Amino acid sequence: MKQYRAHLLVCAGTGCVSCGSFKIKETLEKEIKKRKLQDEVQVVATGCNGFCERGPIVLVQPDGIFYQHLKVEDVPRLVEEHLLKGRPVKKLMYVPPAEDKPVPKMKDIEFFKHQRLIVLRNRGRIDPEKIEEYIAFDGYEAMGKALAKMTPETVLAEITASGLRGRGGAGFPTGKKWVACAKEKRTPKYIICNGDEGDPGAFMDRSVLEADPHAIIEGMVIGARAIGAAKGFVYIRHEYPLAIKRVEIALRQAREYGLLGKDILGTGLDFDLEIVQGAGAFVSGEETALIASVEGKIAMPRQRPPYPARKGIWGSPTVINNVETWATVPNIIRRGAAWYAGLGTDTSKGTKIFSLVGKINNTGLVEVPMGISLREIIFGIGGGIPGGRAFKAVQIGGPSGGCIPAKLLDLPVDYESLTAAGAMMGSGGMIVMDDKTCIVDIAKYFLNFLRDESCGKCVSCREGTQRMWEIVSKITDGQATLEDISLLEELAASVKDASLCGLGQTAGNPVLSTLRYFRAEYERHVLDKRCPAMVCKEIVSSPCQYICPIDQEASTYIALIAQKKYEEAFKIIRKDNPLPSVCGRVCSRACESVCRAGEIGEPIAIRALKRYVMDWARAKGLDAPTKFPVTRTDKVAIVGAGPAGLAAGYELIKKGYPVRIFESLPVAGGMLRVTIPDHRLPKDVLQDDLDYLASCGLNIKTNMTLGKDFTLDDLFQQGYKAVFLATGAHKPLEMGVPGEEAEGVLQALEYLKDYHLGSPVSLGARVVVIGGGNSAVDAARVAFRDKRVKQATILYRRTRKEMPAYPEEVEAGLEEGVKIEYLVAPVRVRIRDEKVVGVECIRMKLGEKDSSGRAKPVPIPGSEFQIPADTLILAISERAYTPYLKDSDGLTLSPQWGTIIVDPASMATTRPGVFAGGDVVSGPSSVVEAMAAGKTAALSIECYLEGRPLTRPHGVTRPSLYVEPVKLTEEEAQNAKRAKMPHLPLAKRRSGHEEIETGFTKELALKEARRCLRCELETRDAKKAMGRET
Amino acid sequence: MIELILNGLPVKAEEGWTVLETANFYGLEIPTLCHHEGLTEFGGCRLCLVEIGEPPKSNLVTSCTYPAEAGLVVRTDTNRVWAARRMMIELMLSVAPGSKVLQDLASKFGVTKVRFTPRNEECILCGLCVRICAEQMDAKAIGFQQRGHKRKISTPFDMRSEECRLCGACMYVCPVCQLRCQGPNAETALCNGCLTMDPTCLEHYDDLQCWMYDAGRCGTCVREKKS
Repeated sequence: MKQYRAHLLVCAGTGCVSCGSFKIKETLEKEIKKRKLQDEVQVVATGCNGFCERGPIVLVQPDGIFYQHLKVEDVPRLVEEHLLKGRPVKKLMYVPPAEDKPVPKMKDIEFFKHQRLIVLRNRGRIDPEKIEEYIAFDGYEAMGKALAKMTPETVLAEITASGLRGRGGAGFPTGKKWVACAKEKRTPKYIICNGDEGDPGAFMDRSVLEADPHAIIEGMVIGARAIGAAKGFVYIRHEYPLAIKRVEIALRQAREYGLLGKDILGTGLDFDLEIVQGAGAFVSGEETALIASVEGKIAMPRQRPPYPARKGIWGSPTVINNVETWATVPNIIRRGAAWYAGLGTDTSKGTKIFSLVGKINNTGLVEVPMGISLREIIFGIGGGIPGGRAFKAVQIGGPSGGCIPAKLLDLPVDYESLTAAGAMMGSGGMIVMDDKTCIVDIAKYFLNFLRDESCGKCVSCREGTQRMWEIVSKITDGQATLEDISLLEELAASVKDASLCGLGQTAGNPVLSTLRYFRAEYERHVLDKRCPAMVCKEIVSSPCQYICPIDQEASTYIALIAQKKYEEAFKIIRKDNPLPSVCGRVCSRACESVCRAGEIGEPIAIRALKRYVMDWARAKGLDAPTKFPVTRTDKVAIVGAGPAGLAAGYELIKKGYPVRIFESLPVAGGMLRVTIPDHRLPKDVLQDDLDYLASCGLNIKTNMTLGKDFTLDDLFQQGYKAVFLATGAHKPLEMGVPGEEAEGVLQALEYLKDYHLGSPVSLGARVVVIGGGNSAVDAARVAFRDKRVKQATILYRRTRKEMPAYPEEVEAGLEEGVKIEYLVAPVRVRIRDEKVVGVECIRMKLGEKDSSGRAKPVPIPGSEFQIPADTLILAISERAYTPYLKDSDGLTLSPQWGTIIVDPASMATTRPGVFAGGDVVSGPSSVVEAMAAGKTAALSIECYLEGRPLTRPHGVTRPSLYVEPVKLTEEEAQNAKRAKMPHLPLAKRRSGHEEIETGFTKELALKEARRCLRCELETRDAKKAMGRET
Repeated sequence: MIELILNGLPVKAEEGWTVLETANFYGLEIPTLCHHEGLTEFGGCRLCLVEIGEPPKSNLVTSCTYPAEAGLVVRTDTNRVWAARRMMIELMLSVAPGSKVLQDLASKFGVTKVRFTPRNEECILCGLCVRICAEQMDAKAIGFQQRGHKRKISTPFDMRSEECRLCGACMYVCPVCQLRCQGPNAETALCNGCLTMDPTCLEHYDDLQCWMYDAGRCGTCVREKKS
């Protein structure tokens, strides 16, 4: 026999073949020939390797080097470097997610390391089209043993003793089934291999048929010997052409070798196999339906008993087992029942193949011992969830199975545990879902599958799956009520109860198991018309509008910009936003973080577009005064003229209420005015928004401090019927290190406040800022603009990735010359003559994730060092501060945070008529969240004053109008990239406080707006409105 | 003879009998729809469901297809059975609200509302027509097509069949497309006109619910109690 020094095992499973592995094989052979290595190196096409996500795959033996994601153009290099020069190619090796070092050997890769291969023992190792290779790895040894050395009784006893259970899903003991059939006196008897694998996300049967077809033949001959069958069928769905081809080849070779047919191995056993192709119905996998299909009838299940073991094909005794079961049989016979029974758990023996699919890093096929935990499979072998997202649930057992949530990740995988958790083993499909998967949508998907694939015989299943799908669709459309959920539950239980076969009896599972673990998510869809994963498009419409706390119709105004209808766009923005020019500059932009364009490239620059429209409108003088008439008599007082107070005031005067805002500072605007520096938000821009509000009739009285100039009770005595408290979070947090009371230590909040209100602040030449939020960056950049300051350094205890400040602000700060030291924390303030001279720091490293999901910084002992500083600015955080409240005011404060406790749905405090919102309730948060709280409070105040309950109706998200989409040219669509915001040149920055972002030009704005994907046009309402109803 | 337990009492069945036949022999009435004496059993309408085995490991099976087995424990009218039957009636009524047969069943089992959007398809796919055409008329002119929610009964390729002799047997056995309910509220989806009788018995026991041992005959016991 010819000896080769290396074997290249090219995966030729369906997954890799469809990625082009045959091309890779051809090129490999060509390149090897070119280098005259054909006598030294052999290329072999093997069955599925299992790590399908990494295809095409080549394994180089005997070194065990694993190459993945191969392209044809990589092949010459691979051959040249590895086979000729003996240098494995690092670039083509597997790199684990979130790491950068390649793992050269297959046995060291996490995905392979923890698997236990029994059924898949020959995968990626032998050429499935060569019987010799199978025989070389102990193939047909078990058959020889069963035929020559064992009696049917001893074979039956061995299988029974092994504890093997059917791998098709239900887990019926295989030995018991065989014994029942062997007992039948009637002949002929038949055996069937069930390869009608049809559930979404399962492909283990295909893989076994493709990778090791002889194992099934061997198993079936052993089965035939045990029960006395003379004929068998291998039922394979016709969607598996490669599997059919390889089984055909295997059958032919087995017959040639005398391993199948008349007088097998001279033992007198006559047995032959025939392939039957399925016609594409999922229900054919049910054994009685499969038998009907083999008989040439419609695949419709029938009542059991009689079981197939008594009355199967054409009324004859029949044993029907799954592919995986048959492939396990030779292993048991060869190595003994005791060996097999030693694997797995008490009731579930051996190993099981699972297909790992969905939101998982290592997609593929894994074989593991029974009893392994879900966590080991998903996070160990599977490598966890891609993109750092959170694991939400795993659907086990296909459409008939169930969802298992994160809290049950430590569940052992065996038949009983899975059933108890509301799922089932099924064929072993595992569909992993992350937090961007909507659980109701998943239920809808499976129900849609089931209503298509029900055979249609039983009313319960046919009509039940259809009706369940209708109800769930109603839920995902945001049209359902709570009664629909209870009807759904009742129906699902009846479908399970009343149906004939396994399909119907499990058809309620997608609903029941998701309701069991995720009822709250169903109720969010029904009651609040919210889809937390933002999947259900009839609820979400466009994610930008859906997520906006103040319901700005981003997609609508973007569409209007694209149509050059700037005035209409302005009106749409103004409609929901009392501070649009401010938001166009400093909003935290939840919209951009969920923009669908961001999933495939970069999100639309929504904030910049809003700013463009507002700048345009201001230049045109469109934001003209519009006085709202006062139509109501109930007076409302608002305390605090920050974004929350202003938003509430604006909403209330729109409704016709007489409103007065009391502000303790000499100016209105709150944090917008006194902390956000001019280079981000120029004063005149803010003033324009404030002027507009004043022109609408919003009355702001400055220099009025609650608790000093007036009390809560005073307001009610003065005839105010309702009060909204929006006093913000103005108390800076201390650092908690010794020396921070020294001269030269400032609080960022107070520094910025004094600076903006014109009080002089003296800074030293070297300024050190401690913190990582926007106020730290703001303080550093403002300080650095001071002529006296030569150096400004920010110290942050985590890395740049974790920094809460907006990335573009950090970037701009660095450009300007601000220094940032990461992974550094202060230990002590160094003082000389009561004045700060520096800060002693310690280096940090990132440790475990804390409750906020961020890695916790851990000090590195002995890494202390000094940083000289003349001024130290602390920007740790702020907290709500309510010294104005007395016990008799009747409000409740959070003991931990000092915030006012309200009902989050209505913003009502514990005192009737008093509402609160913004940072004083939430702690430091964003401008837009504060405005949203103000808007909510205004709605509740209206309800309160009209004597109605403080509830507000929930509806699905919809824009107020639909705008015709623009047509992009092919070239434009290809080159659609996020427009870059033009910046003030660096030279001009340090000298003054001019706005850094200069705003989009008309061309940039148009180009950016045209790029929008227009998600809101996907709803049925939109299609109807646009005359495109189908 | 096969010995089994029917509603708590030991009974005997002949070899080859179904549970339905056994129950009928002992005078128990089990509702049926797709069952017909002259045709093979189908088990599609799920009305003749009975509970077999001992709870909590008991199952619901169609009595028309389930063979009488030695030692089998059968309960014909438990709460679980009724809940399933009621749901089946509601599901069938939602696709064929015009059927008198279904309306009568609804009244008898106290189905007073249909919570699904009616579809008026006038076919519940019970397959009686298919079977009578094949088994009694020897024509096989019609059959099932498609599966799942697309399933329907038609002639091959939906064309006029040469095999069809227009005998009308299919319409004769159809529980849906022939007889119309002529009750007082015939125009509404659910008539329930037959629910106006006063109940004759008010007690209900899970196993053997009627003192006359005539379970299900008058139907009162299976209705929802009136307030």
